[in-house]
Amino acid sequence: MTLLSLWAVSVVLSGVALLIMIGLILGRFVSQRRQDDLSQQRKTLLPLLLGDAGDEVIHDASVKRSPILRDLSIELIQLVRGEERQQLIATATRLGVAESIRKVLAKGTTRARVVAAETLADFPDEFTTDALHRALEDRNDGVRLAAALALASSDRAPPAQTLVQLLDLGMREQSMLIVALFQEIARSSPAEIRSLIDDQISPPKVKAAAIEALSASGDYSLVPSIVQLALKADPYGEELPRYLRSLGAFQHPAGSPAIVQWLSAPTWWVRTAAAEAAGRIGLQETQSTLVDLLDDPDWWVRFRAGEALVRLGAEAQQLLAKVAATGSQRASSAARLTLAEQAVQA
Amino acid sequence: MIEWEIGAIVAAKIVAWIVIGTGLLQTSFYLIQLLFAGASLSQRPPVANANLLWRRYAGHAPPIALLAPAYNEEVTIVESVNSLLALHYPEFEVIVINDGSKDGTLERLIEHFGVERVERFYDRTVDHQEIRGLYATPRLPRLLVVDKVNGGKSDALNAGINVARSPLFCSIDADSLLESDALLRAVRPFIEKPDEMVAVGGTIRLANGSSIEGGRVQKVALPRNFLALVQIVEYLRAFLMARLALSRMQALTVISGAFGLFRRRLVLEVGGYSHGTVGEDMELVIKLHRHMRDKKRPYRIDFIPEPVCWTEAPEDLTILGRQRARWQRGALETLAKHRDMLFNPKYGRIGFLGFGQILVVDVLGPLIEVIGYVLVPVLWAVGLLSVDYLFAFLAITFTFGIFVSVATLILEEVELRRFPRARDLVVLTSVAVLENFGYRQLSNFWRLRGFWQFLRKQEGWGTMTRKGFTKA
Repeated sequence: MTLLSLWAVSVVLSGVALLIMIGLILGRFVSQRRQDDLSQQRKTLLPLLLGDAGDEVIHDASVKRSPILRDLSIELIQLVRGEERQQLIATATRLGVAESIRKVLAKGTTRARVVAAETLADFPDEFTTDALHRALEDRNDGVRLAAALALASSDRAPPAQTLVQLLDLGMREQSMLIVALFQEIARSSPAEIRSLIDDQISPPKVKAAAIEALSASGDYSLVPSIVQLALKADPYGEELPRYLRSLGAFQHPAGSPAIVQWLSAPTWWVRTAAAEAAGRIGLQETQSTLVDLLDDPDWWVRFRAGEALVRLGAEAQQLLAKVAATGSQRASSAARLTLAEQAVQA
Repeated sequence: MIEWEIGAIVAAKIVAWIVIGTGLLQTSFYLIQLLFAGASLSQRPPVANANLLWRRYAGHAPPIALLAPAYNEEVTIVESVNSLLALHYPEFEVIVINDGSKDGTLERLIEHFGVERVERFYDRTVDHQEIRGLYATPRLPRLLVVDKVNGGKSDALNAGINVARSPLFCSIDADSLLESDALLRAVRPFIEKPDEMVAVGGTIRLANGSSIEGGRVQKVALPRNFLALVQIVEYLRAFLMARLALSRMQALTVISGAFGLFRRRLVLEVGGYSHGTVGEDMELVIKLHRHMRDKKRPYRIDFIPEPVCWTEAPEDLTILGRQRARWQRGALETLAKHRDMLFNPKYGRIGFLGFGQILVVDVLGPLIEVIGYVLVPVLWAVGLLSVDYLFAFLAITFTFGIFVSVATLILEEVELRRFPRARDLVVLTSVAVLENFGYRQLSNFWRLRGFWQFLRKQEGWGTMTRKGFTKA
């Protein structure tokens, strides 16, 4: 490398750094001025949007192609509730806000498309519904899920089975928001989500999410299906604890066979979930197994077993006191501290 | 020409090519990191406002235990805990671990928050010094104070992990301030990829010069102290360039101890934080990589720039020097302990990219630079050095450093924009130029001191004086 080329590289690097700096500062001044203009427009538009101003007045007040009307409308729609919200949505739709967001959903950057899909949940017109349906086939996972959530939150989602296929739920898409999606759908169509549980080809993660989504519904007819799934589940998998926790959430004694079976699972996370569910349901027949679990090598299992015994009532609490006095060091410590922590006088 | 002269010239050429080769390698690393960081920032998920985050994640966000080890923090502890308790997150507990403080840290906590001694059943999976007592109050169900015998930061964190009951824990420094929605932002990867996500790190920024009120950074401003200013530039390079890029490459080797979110179960599986190292944060991440790769389980360790944690940077040469020597020692201890991972195909990109970065940037970089500083006058004295080439190489080294710093400012300006005034950009660029003349050399000297401490197997953290954050 010649001396001249070394200096040339230094000069180029310095020049580029200087240009970047000048660019950043100029960019800052331009964006600051733009920000000031937008703030001014916000101040003008805010009372108009909240008051009774006509569409033309609002339209004239917002500079052409300015995103301020869109952003301010979205902000206000998310802030208010009830009739006022509906009025704001209607006004924004008439003024082309929904149309502008739909354009972003179709042609924006990935980040912009995700935000657009989330925002369109508030606009129930048919064009928006079509745009969101198209977004279910977007190339980006995040956009697809956002569109599905937006459609589901306004009862416009396609059948759950279709969503599972389009979004590859439970396989490629594993977000915990799948439960939120199913909960939204279950508000209006619980049978669709129920069918996912019974469907042989649904991925285990979809079944687990469907069960969690329905576990707050109080539909006890689901319990036998969950028990069957739990009895056949892989004790080393991540789904079984979710099934057991859902059985605990139903608090129905019909969940007993699965819970009793998995209290002696080879994996600690399954034993933990089973112990917790036993306590929640109040399965008295699990008392002696729970007492044994107070000496489990894993702390979480001992903790949940102690907690469950407290939940099972006076008789189980007496057992806890007995273990505290006469059990092995590990079991005794678990029992004594559980009683102390739960302030139980056994 | 006599024989020894020929030998000296050959030796000088070899040294020169080693120095140039290492420099080029380091430069390539930085350029690649810049590209990856830029791509990562431009493609990151949208930065939602706090309300939207809450609406989106609140129902599904797993509980988090915030672990705040405290040693002699009586000046700042109440404000720090208040700030933690005020975080916006659906379900969390704040576990303050008083690591045998010699000042009134525990007394301040008891007096201010009214906590009383309680019994709680806790795990003993990972080792730590004896817990003397647990303190809580029904009035603040989210707060738990652990009082234990002094054992160092990693020991205190291990105690916190054992006592915690949440599936995720967040390690933070008791003297740091988290932005109110930092947890909601940091938990996103755990919600989106629940089966794979092992740990997530967030950005640490320096609060020196900014005004703080009620445990929150109210107004971001630059400090007047030159050392603090240089550290702001360094932190921007470290977080907005290096960590973001390595995260994108899935080769992140460190999550700062000041703010990191971890899956508790997996940290227990690797035995928690290691004792006897000052680089416990880096070591934990390496252990997690090793564990997951040994088990052949798919996993991710990510860095996301938005969840911001503010901390106080030392403004005093002695304390800063001690901190930098400690960081260097920590990196070397980790590299030595896990040396079998270096360039080992079994560990894939961690062995090559992650460990390669530590080797070139943290180990060889300062060493070679200092060797260069020592050899220059010697070689010049014996007539083996071309002064023209020396200045040309020095100019390249410095201008490239400036270029990297300014390029990092682009990422900051375009994607995050936390500095409110255009003037701040000019100041930071000037600092990026000035740091090459004096600070850079001093920093290398501190790192060499870390090398020396590592070779002498020195232990301990040294003293770090807390003065508390500047009030608004």
